[in-house]
Amino acid sequence: MEKYYLGLDGGSTYLKAALMKDKKVVGTVVYPTGIDNNGVAKKIVAALCKKYGISRTDIGYIMATGYSRKILEVADDDISEITAHAYGVRVTAPKEYRPGMVIDIGGQDSKIIYLDANYNVKNFTMNDKCAAGTGKFMEVIAQILETTIDQVGALSLESTSSCDINSTCVVFAQSEVISLVARKVDRRDILAGMHLSMAKRIIKMMKKSEKGGDILMTGGGALNTGIHRAFEEEMLKDVYVAKYPQFNGAVGAALIASERNEVSLRL
Amino acid sequence: MADQSGINERQRELFIRKSTRVAAAYLKRAKELAELPDAAKPFFDVLENTYVNNVKEITGLEYTSPSDFTRCGAELLRMADIQKPEERKSIGTLCVMVPAELVYAAGAMPVRLCSGSYTAYSIGDDYIPRDACPLVKAVMGFGKIKALPAFDNCSLLVAPVTCDCKKKLAGTIDSVKDTIPLHIPPLKKDDADTEIFLKELYRLIPLLENVTGKQVTAKSLAEGINMVGNAQYEMSEFLKYRRHDLSLMSGTQVMAVMNAYSYMPANIWAEQMHRLNEEMKLRLSQGRFVSRKNQPRILVTGSPIAFPNIKVPLLIEEMGGVLAADETCMGERGLYDPVSVIDASFDGMMRSLASRYTKPCTCPVFVDNSQRIYRIKQMIKEHKIQGVIYHVLRGCLVYDYEYQLMEEAMGKMDIPIIRVESDYNEEDVEQLRIRIEAFIELIKMRTSA
Repeated sequence: MEKYYLGLDGGSTYLKAALMKDKKVVGTVVYPTGIDNNGVAKKIVAALCKKYGISRTDIGYIMATGYSRKILEVADDDISEITAHAYGVRVTAPKEYRPGMVIDIGGQDSKIIYLDANYNVKNFTMNDKCAAGTGKFMEVIAQILETTIDQVGALSLESTSSCDINSTCVVFAQSEVISLVARKVDRRDILAGMHLSMAKRIIKMMKKSEKGGDILMTGGGALNTGIHRAFEEEMLKDVYVAKYPQFNGAVGAALIASERNEVSLRL
Repeated sequence: MADQSGINERQRELFIRKSTRVAAAYLKRAKELAELPDAAKPFFDVLENTYVNNVKEITGLEYTSPSDFTRCGAELLRMADIQKPEERKSIGTLCVMVPAELVYAAGAMPVRLCSGSYTAYSIGDDYIPRDACPLVKAVMGFGKIKALPAFDNCSLLVAPVTCDCKKKLAGTIDSVKDTIPLHIPPLKKDDADTEIFLKELYRLIPLLENVTGKQVTAKSLAEGINMVGNAQYEMSEFLKYRRHDLSLMSGTQVMAVMNAYSYMPANIWAEQMHRLNEEMKLRLSQGRFVSRKNQPRILVTGSPIAFPNIKVPLLIEEMGGVLAADETCMGERGLYDPVSVIDASFDGMMRSLASRYTKPCTCPVFVDNSQRIYRIKQMIKEHKIQGVIYHVLRGCLVYDYEYQLMEEAMGKMDIPIIRVESDYNEEDVEQLRIRIEAFIELIKMRTSA
């Protein structure tokens, strides 16, 4: 019987898992990371086994990625987020996507990965020591505007004139937004402005020398339709969104896990 | 009681406790990477003496003798004494443009004071603008705190006017140490540029003679050139072993050996290097390697990597890469190219020095520095490099400037390259780790595809 393979993505905010069989995603789960990464990872494995009626021995290999990748005891090995995301795209990208650029917006970092035509990583850039251009940025602004992160996308699409948010620093942007609120600016316009400011910030990270291929968004941030629209407007290009964007890293890790068992990839 | 610089005794004591602990911890990590060759241990002892033991001894703290003195222990003890001013005068230098040959010819010992101390950096931070590079902050920090005998014992500091940070350092560190700024021509192509530097070297002679009371003669200059040349010869021999497909010694340990050159007389360094070469020969014949076949071979270049700031080399090797070569000024740059004397007259030798310390120098402060790309391309071939990690210290504009050119050149050679930015602290280690780890995976994927 074909084995199952599990990818665990221990991010800063959530721990994501993807279960795969025959290189297809069987199921995904997400738990808040909390303070006990290891305990949460064990719970996830147990929950997945129960949900799909399999035992732990049916899982051939577990690959961990994300911030806590090195401390998850249930995992057989670990791989960096960059490689995991690049692999995930092989499964999660829409059919018409020609490999080129991957924009990943996570809870506490954002990264850009450049792929060659065969989905191999050519290069990558990551944000430095700062939460600007990450999920945290959206979360902080959403809180001030008395909404939640899953609503900000839809709300911002209703905006008719987005306002400017000039601060890149999360803390400074926060006070800027508070003063906009005080001036009774429509919160939908503020949110549209926030998305544009994030997109601009991430576009600045891009390498001018890397051209060719399409753009794909992954990570929890890609669930936000507002930021998706902002990228298209700023780059004047179609931007694709991955299937299960939040689980892209976990899917990639699971895919590597399955290949690891086929001995094709010995890192 | 506060002295003029506003640093009191208690602050100094705490500084020493912290800086010696950090230095000792990095030495330990480097030693643990792979089996340290016996002949490399004395180099580690020198770093330990410089950054830990001498500091404790001179400042009256508990003194522990170096852990593993080996064959040349006696010589080393003698050498360690050289850092004490009554034995021999030492002259502090910065960058790679102060001819060590000339300092030896004047009867003094050159000591490279470019430092990677995180603790000294945090002291220097109070005296130097925020956006300046951490290296000059560390140097200024040691100048102010007076807790590094190797620094304090220098009778004079010769500070080449290279990048903007070093230029302003040369102008401000004068308050804590007698400093001679050494003018470096920003251009180096024409003979006229070398002439400018030659004049500077002639200006330096009486200033050095004043310190030592000895004259620079044709004989002493030839001896100096010979002495440094021997060290460079041993280095070139060592590079033959370093080029081997499977590594005979950890690259981080090699960088420590080259760093130790800053604090050792060239002849003793060369003698010990000879022993290390013998040991490399033995390891090669016995097939004792420290790397495996599928480990990516990486070259590090960019801003200086000075002890104890060796986090980038350590991370490369801890994440499964092989640090196969470095093109940095604390590493191979100062050591690979000997002075070639064509005209053996005094002026001829001086001209050879002026030419050697400018023309082939690959420091990015020069307007046209195409030599650096040429040199790196050459090293990629010689050392069978599969990827380049470009190290940029925060505020180090000249190296950052050359990154684009380097990226273009590497693109043409199909060699992956990443830029990692870092500072003198340990807070960015995880950010560096993920980048370096992903880069190593990227190379492995390419080679397995």
